Amino acid sequence: MALILIRFSPSKPKQGDPVKVSVVVRHPMEPGTRKDENGQIIPANYINELEVTLNGERVALVNPGRGVSANPLFAFMVTAEPGEVKVRYTDTAGESGEKSKALKVAG
Amino acid sequence: MNRRVFLKTAGVAAAAVGASRLLPAWAQAATVPTVEEVQDIEHLNTGLKEVLGVDFGKLEPSDKVTINAPEIAESGANVPLEIVADLAPADVKAVHCFVDKNPFPHIFSMSFGPKAAQSYFATRIRIGETAPVRVVVETQDGRYLLASHVTRVTVGGCG
Repeated sequence: MALILIRFSPSKPKQGDPVKVSVVVRHPMEPGTRKDENGQIIPANYINELEVTLNGERVALVNPGRGVSANPLFAFMVTAEPGEVKVRYTDTAGESGEKSKALKVAG
Repeated sequence: MNRRVFLKTAGVAAAAVGASRLLPAWAQAATVPTVEEVQDIEHLNTGLKEVLGVDFGKLEPSDKVTINAPEIAESGANVPLEIVADLAPADVKAVHCFVDKNPFPHIFSMSFGPKAAQSYFATRIRIGETAPVRVVVETQDGRYLLASHVTRVTVGGCG
């Protein structure tokens, strides 16, 4: 399963303040247009769905295509509340992964 | 054509040949071309029709949509892109991104849920060659708001 990193900025916001949630997934995002050293087309394999939730409610749903970079980054804005951010993805090869991180608020 | 015009034209042509590969004017100067200079509406329309079912004529250029991206990218493989729409997330049905000259012009689509605090999204995209990046914000009332931004790439990101 691919590595998923979740980062909050600021890392410990005040309740009700805006927080940026950045997600990075370690994934090749093969567009299906590249060739390997033998001249063979490397088959397409890219994340085509990624969902981010905060305390069980959706922040955003992203449907990337072939044009999103390898090891993709996705960032969103939420309002700080204590709880859990969860990221779940699936790729075109049928692989999936998920990761959660606690969002802590100051004060 | 008088002598002065001829010499000027010949001089420019010679300079262009001197630049060896007869590149378009924008590519010789260290400037970022305008959207019109590098757009490819026909190819873009293939992506628009597939994803949205409409063509370029249905999109409304809007200052409610802002694209933050570099003007010049060393590598097209990893171009940071930040999108801000001056609309409540609940008024946005979806955000779509296209690049005119990529082999597959559709880059991504996304939508906001109830926990989105702003109509903000950032990611990193591939740009095959210098071309406009298009962000289309589809509103709940059925409009397609468009913002365009040219990123000049020195090395393409699709090969």
